[in-house]
Amino acid sequence: MEEKTKSLPTDLRMEANPPPRLLRVLTVVTILGFAGTLALGLKVAGTDIQQGEIQRIFYIHMPSFFGAFTAFGLTVVGGVIYLARKSERWDRIALAGVEVGLAFSLINLLTGSIWARPIWNTWWTWDPRLTSAAIMCLTYAAYLMLRAGIDDPGKRRAFMSVYGILAFVTVLITLFIIRIVPETIHPVIVGASPQNAQGGFEATSGVVIALVPSLLLWLTLMPITIIWHRVRLEARIEKLHQLKLQALSE
Amino acid sequence: MMMKPAITTVALLCALWTICIVSAEDGEENMTPYFQSRAFNVPILAGWGDQSGEDFAQFQLAEAEATIRAAIVPTDDIIAAVGAELSDAFEIEVGQPSFQGKVNLADGTWSVLIYDYGDATTASVMARLAAAGTVVISFVEQDPAARTALLIMAQTDDALDDPTPEIAIAVESIAGVSLSELNRAESIRLPSGEWTVYTGASMSAMGMVFGNDSYVALREGAPGDLAALADAYNRTLLGFFITPDNSHYLALGLAVVFVVFGALVGSLFWRERSLRKELALLAQLAGEDG
Repeated sequence: MEEKTKSLPTDLRMEANPPPRLLRVLTVVTILGFAGTLALGLKVAGTDIQQGEIQRIFYIHMPSFFGAFTAFGLTVVGGVIYLARKSERWDRIALAGVEVGLAFSLINLLTGSIWARPIWNTWWTWDPRLTSAAIMCLTYAAYLMLRAGIDDPGKRRAFMSVYGILAFVTVLITLFIIRIVPETIHPVIVGASPQNAQGGFEATSGVVIALVPSLLLWLTLMPITIIWHRVRLEARIEKLHQLKLQALSE
Repeated sequence: MMMKPAITTVALLCALWTICIVSAEDGEENMTPYFQSRAFNVPILAGWGDQSGEDFAQFQLAEAEATIRAAIVPTDDIIAAVGAELSDAFEIEVGQPSFQGKVNLADGTWSVLIYDYGDATTASVMARLAAAGTVVISFVEQDPAARTALLIMAQTDDALDDPTPEIAIAVESIAGVSLSELNRAESIRLPSGEWTVYTGASMSAMGMVFGNDSYVALREGAPGDLAALADAYNRTLLGFFITPDNSHYLALGLAVVFVVFGALVGSLFWRERSLRKELALLAQLAGEDG
């Protein structure tokens, strides 16, 4: 393959353009961090005496939403900067944010549903938080479908930038709905809510030791590392597409 | 140049984590202490000696010669389980109970058994079937000065907010005394609730309505520490619960996380592979043209 591809632009060849050192370090730290936070949640945190072992899924369920928040937030940043500067790099970041955020929100939705089965005795209920989270997932799934359906690259990037910015409303609604709508059975963990007017955060130190590192990992390292890999791949896919068009025109 | 912001970020994260742990430990002070085993949980009785082991909870009030114990016996035969538990823990050989009944509580149907050994030892037992065997919660009192019996009975009329009918049944069926021989005393308020009290020359009785059931406590002679014993047994019964075994749902949840991650990372690898193949094809075509 090396022989065959050496006549092509160097930035398309993986061998000639390996991931930067910082990205490699981030990847290793993220994998180790994920393993470490899993161990904290499964071994260090005590068993919840009322909910049993299934409560441990909380150490992934809640952080995965915040990971999605970071990823979708980067889509907003990418969209805004693309619209201002028309720089393709920021459009790639916006796209990568949606893909990674959608995967994280699926993890959030599915782990929540699995938790609900033994605790609420149902896989799903049309609770305001669950409904808004499902709408959020569908909104971002529609982003990917719409993006694939627009041929003109300029129009596609501009339209999807606007869509990505507006879609973030669903993330904010999902985040705050349990503090606004009183008819929810979704637990409110931190702070005041219509169900828990006094607020606060009462947890054993085992819960905090498992939750905080997991939250920090999913909020920062995990989305950023995967998005970076995805952005690099997208840049090379776009270059390849240009080469194909060039070859066809010749 | 990159070191300064990195050190600052790490320091801030450490500070945040410390604040969270300290505030969590503050919160722990307000929580009711619980005995936790792999199978069940009961509140730890303040002021009682804790003699609990790995698989059983046991609290003793030495001055009353009273012990409250909770355990799960691995058999589905309730009478056999109660016999094994009283024999192993208190060296009491079980005969015929002086009272036997059943009561439906929120977590299932419990058998209520009272044993009177005539040598100053009484055992009040609540037992029910669970997935791991039979739950046995026993109150054993060995004070030669007075016999004590603690039990729960379904209300004969659940519209009443008064345990008197159940107290009457209990004193007559367990002690053979008519309630008319006792005088109604002033009610007392305990942490578990408001208790109705009857006293007489031969015995004392207390009762409290909770839901559609009445908690009843009987004792020979003056009430003495009956209120403290009844309150402790009541708190043990109300606070007892079995931790559900739902580890298979946790396994399913983790499997789903790995499948979604696998799909995400796998799609990156798959697209990378396709990219390389297309590059090779393009290079081949370019070579042929050349």
